[in-house]
Amino acid sequence: MSDFEPKIIGFLCNWCSYEGADSAGRAGKVYPANLKVIRVMCSGRIDPQFVIKAFREGADGVMILGCHPGECHYKEGNYQALRKYILLKKMLTQFGIEEERIRLHWVSASECDQFVKVVSEMVKDMRQLGPLMKVNVGRFMKVARVRR
Amino acid sequence: MSERIGVLICECGPNIKDAIDINKIVNFVESLENVVMVKPFGLLCSDKGKELIRKDIKKYNLTRVVIAGCSPKEHETTFKKVLEDAGLNPFLMQIANIREQCAWVIKDKTSATQKAKVMIAAAVKRVVSQEPLRIKEIKCHPDVLVVGAGVAGISASLTLAHKKRKIYLVERLPCIGGKVALYEEVFSNLECASCMLDPILDEVLHHDHIELLSLSEIQEVLGFYGNFIVRVKKKARFVDIKSCIGCGACFEVCPVKVKNEYNEGLDERKAIYIPYPGALPNVAVIDKEHCLHLQGKVCNACQKACPFGSVNYEETDQVQELKVGAIVLATGFDIFDPRKSKQYGYGKIGNVYTSLEFERLLNSTGPTGGKILLKNGQPPKKIALVHCVGSRTRKYNEYCSGICCIYLLKFAHLIRQKLPDVSIVEFYSDFCLPGKEAQKFFNKFAEEKGIKFLRMKNPDSINIREEKGKILTRYTDVNGKSKNITSDMVVLASAIEEARNAQDVAKVFDISQGRDGFFIEEHTKLAPVSTTTKGIFIAGCAQGPKDIQGSVAQGQAAAGMILSQLIPGEKLTLEPMTAVVNEDLCSGCKICIGLCPYKAITYDDKEKHAIINEVLCTGCGICASACPSGVIKAKHFTDKQIYAEIEGVVNE
Repeated sequence: MSDFEPKIIGFLCNWCSYEGADSAGRAGKVYPANLKVIRVMCSGRIDPQFVIKAFREGADGVMILGCHPGECHYKEGNYQALRKYILLKKMLTQFGIEEERIRLHWVSASECDQFVKVVSEMVKDMRQLGPLMKVNVGRFMKVARVRR
Repeated sequence: MSERIGVLICECGPNIKDAIDINKIVNFVESLENVVMVKPFGLLCSDKGKELIRKDIKKYNLTRVVIAGCSPKEHETTFKKVLEDAGLNPFLMQIANIREQCAWVIKDKTSATQKAKVMIAAAVKRVVSQEPLRIKEIKCHPDVLVVGAGVAGISASLTLAHKKRKIYLVERLPCIGGKVALYEEVFSNLECASCMLDPILDEVLHHDHIELLSLSEIQEVLGFYGNFIVRVKKKARFVDIKSCIGCGACFEVCPVKVKNEYNEGLDERKAIYIPYPGALPNVAVIDKEHCLHLQGKVCNACQKACPFGSVNYEETDQVQELKVGAIVLATGFDIFDPRKSKQYGYGKIGNVYTSLEFERLLNSTGPTGGKILLKNGQPPKKIALVHCVGSRTRKYNEYCSGICCIYLLKFAHLIRQKLPDVSIVEFYSDFCLPGKEAQKFFNKFAEEKGIKFLRMKNPDSINIREEKGKILTRYTDVNGKSKNITSDMVVLASAIEEARNAQDVAKVFDISQGRDGFFIEEHTKLAPVSTTTKGIFIAGCAQGPKDIQGSVAQGQAAAGMILSQLIPGEKLTLEPMTAVVNEDLCSGCKICIGLCPYKAITYDDKEKHAIINEVLCTGCGICASACPSGVIKAKHFTDKQIYAEIEGVVNE
């Protein structure tokens, strides 16, 4: 599976992280094409169901990127994101989804290097981890990793 | 009815064209559902490009538009405007960021083309579920409430009043001018404070557009930006403000003496009084708690003595309701109480003063008529000035007050002027002299004769006690050695702290305080006088320690913000991307109410559901992601729209 290219979805807040991603482009940085970005106004808007939906649709990894603590455009949305993330991670692990597949990072508008770093790491790790596969078991949809 | 989507691909000169195979993209996009036209163009943000979009919207009768090009951060507003001009709601457009997040970051043309395909496909999928949003407008009151008549509040009031805004200036005390009115000379040019202040105080008192409500406090604030309703309690002065000329006949005869808070308790005043000579408005006031008549005893000495019949014991407190569109809070500061830390000996040793007390001692209208005297009436021979009292220490206040170093130098200079033979020691651990004036001031005065600087190891490496009638100051020097210095007077540069009533003010206006107690600005750099409550601004030391020029600048800045946003006759434009509750499905769990950072959500007790105030909502969407019933819709970022986008990016 050396040619496996993981599908990564990134939910980025409009003010810091999306701007950070743009600044990576403006600075001519290069990072893997695997990441597809979905812009939200605030990381606090990221409903855990968005992440679950992404995995159900076939994403191999999901990234949540928001402003640094204390720098949220909406005061405290990133703290809300963090709280939900911690719980969601616990839940996803119970479903059999490896915890590395969901990540949260703080990326400010100027941190294009940090953006490139966390994205590249994610892609590298997911390439190693392999794809997330959906297996239908009876009426339930069981999500499990296919072992090679 | 199926949508008619037009996809316009911007080549952005060579920027996108060279990195992505545009032909392949066009072929791919043509096959997507609902897409009726695909067109690449050299530069969509150019006038020709915009014209092309406008024409194509009409020609193909488009109901949705997808633009593939640069980041929405760059040109979303531009293209929204184009849609609007073409008669299409601007929210029916989605941008696929194939420049910053694709063409510029992927070197391999095949991968870049593949990623661009996916991004456009997702945008096409999302745009179908996008809804037209209308930009709403509401009526607003252009009048402004300013709380606090110190330099910051006055600067805000005058700036607004010059533009003919009606200002309600509310002041807790009987007089205006705040702390600055208590100083004699101020740095950095040793300007006479009252010469600087009196003309603007006078302007405030006589301005047609400023209504001063002295002795008043805010009881309640209802409503929101553009439409606040404020209840003000105006306490009785018991003296008619129109006929009293401040002649002083009343307080000469008053038999009651109480500590004078305007001289920091260093002398006494009467129960009917004028706070200090030159206080404006120059009108007497009766202290209800101490006046014999008002406490039910037999006395009407002041009423008999008044040549103008101005004393009126029957006056009662009044509650006034004001309607304003915006509020400026300039409620000032208080200083750190050195009694909290025994090491300073304050409150126990008679000749240890705080900086505010010393300002009054220096002032010709103060308790000693401007003479520097010890408690025994003798002039001091040696004075110690102590920096950083209660500041730059984790124990009390971690921050630096920023003005103490320079005003202590001012003290040293003024002391030397008044008492040329006195010797002065300054205990400091660091000097803070920022800006274009402070260092010059230091260079000029630090070299004066008789001023000695002793450096402490830490800002609080000092202990002051009394020994044999002298004040003994023990400090640790930079080498860690303990040393003793005697003096007969000590002045403490107490930290600037939040006003004692800051918590009450924050509660009434529903704004936040930082850990240090000062009101929190919306953004430390970009919105320093705004708060997260729309329409409420902060200025001066209520926001943090600062000097006079800083306070004035903030007052004027707050006024500028209001003048630019709240315009008479114009309606307020509301953020269209707000959240909205489906009231029929809301279970009334109230989870969203506690999560909203802007306090925009309230609970309707009668109808048993949450309501979002569109004026206060900023559209962050925190509530929408937390609603357990999923009945809060974050407009333009709805679950449906984001799901569509997820499906689009995953199913390549």
